[in-house]
Amino acid sequence: MSGFEPKIVAFLCNWCTYVAADAAGVSRFVQQPNVRVIRVNCSGMVDPSYVVKAFASGADGVLVGGCWPGDCHYVAGNIKAMRRAPLLQKLLDQLGVEALRFRLKWIAASEPSQFAKTVNEMTEQVRKLGPFVRKGLRAKRSAA
Amino acid sequence: VSQGGRPRTTLAVHTATGCRACEHGVLDLDQEVTALGRFADPVFWPYVLGTPWEALPREVDVTFFAGAVRTETDREAARRLRDRSRILVAVGACAAFGGLPGLTNLAASGGSAEPAAGEDAAGDDGAAAPALAPATLSLAQVVAVDYFVPGCPPTPALLWTAALALLCRGESAARLSFAAGRLPERIAEAIAAGVLPPRGSTFAGERAVCGSCSRVKEEKRFEVCKRPFQAYQETGRCLLEQGLVCQGVATQEGCGGLCTGAGAPCRGCFGKAPAVFDPGAKMVAAIGSTFDSAKADEIAELVDGFPDLAGTFYRYTAPSQCALLAPPPGAAGGGA
Repeated sequence: MSGFEPKIVAFLCNWCTYVAADAAGVSRFVQQPNVRVIRVNCSGMVDPSYVVKAFASGADGVLVGGCWPGDCHYVAGNIKAMRRAPLLQKLLDQLGVEALRFRLKWIAASEPSQFAKTVNEMTEQVRKLGPFVRKGLRAKRSAA
Repeated sequence: VSQGGRPRTTLAVHTATGCRACEHGVLDLDQEVTALGRFADPVFWPYVLGTPWEALPREVDVTFFAGAVRTETDREAARRLRDRSRILVAVGACAAFGGLPGLTNLAASGGSAEPAAGEDAAGDDGAAAPALAPATLSLAQVVAVDYFVPGCPPTPALLWTAALALLCRGESAARLSFAAGRLPERIAEAIAAGVLPPRGSTFAGERAVCGSCSRVKEEKRFEVCKRPFQAYQETGRCLLEQGLVCQGVATQEGCGGLCTGAGAPCRGCFGKAPAVFDPGAKMVAAIGSTFDSAKADEIAELVDGFPDLAGTFYRYTAPSQCALLAPPPGAAGGGA
């Protein structure tokens, strides 16, 4: 497992976290190269299906980034994301996805350092957890 | 076998791991059972006719296979019936999606096969209980399936429709148009044209249950998760809006909203609607977005009120439609 590089899919809101990610690059913050960014208009449009699909398609972690509550470009989209996340977390937990693999994080456009920090933190956490393997296939794989 | 000079379609009915309610469903066709007998000849039906496996003909026209595949015996039955059948139909949620027995996959350790209840567990006839496979599978995950009739059990109307479409080809036009009126256009056209519907078709609607549910939908706000006895009010209002976990939004239509019409929340026995990627994720979206709170601690408290999300949202579909439990697309279906 020494050569394991986690694949993290990040759904970033166009108005805050995506800008922060951009700025983090421009400001030359050191970041782990494990994140695949998908720009979305709002964290509120990240349907739980997207997160489940990311895991089902081989992601080892999923990060959803949005504006701080009160700052949403669409008034309350991030609140919707906030309402869904704990329920999704609970479902994922039952399906064998560890809590640290899914994260909803508020990062404003002016917080590029926070973005770099989140990426580095999450990459390390997921690296420790190892690759995500579907429940039921896990034992089979290790037995093989 | 022939009656009135016309050979009747031969029919086999079998249940693997299941409760046999689907076979009862066939009997529950009421007066139509006699009509069924006029154009179909049940050559193999162990449960009702006591047919032994040795009597299974070399070739059967249509096989109704109910129940999930959980044991070696089930797997063998699925293979044998697939080999001998021209048309193999997965009848009921278990055969179509894995069904209630598929919930075992949620607790699956992925270990090796083990006997059902200890080494010396024996059935009525003294035979040893068959070994359990590591995972419960739907019929289509074991052998190729031609048609699906979902439901737990399939409603009599739907089962009758499938029987007419598959068994009574060349029969009266009135029968066929009765069947066609209840199905998606693609299948209906085939039936009206007197040919078989496209292989792989599901005998159900194309939209979600909400599409045929008669309840009034206004604004959804979830304040607390409730059980029907705690909350149900006969106001004709959407059950999800009343705080009940109704899975109509994620579930394929075809039942005509029977349960929701009677005030019972939809449990999802028709499997996911075609436009839904994953029924659990869809339900999380439907319920979570409507929590009537913007405070993290209040939301956490609400979430605590939902016991066993996976067991609820994937009640009938865990082996085949849960994106994180089912074998990944392209993987060998058998799993063993």
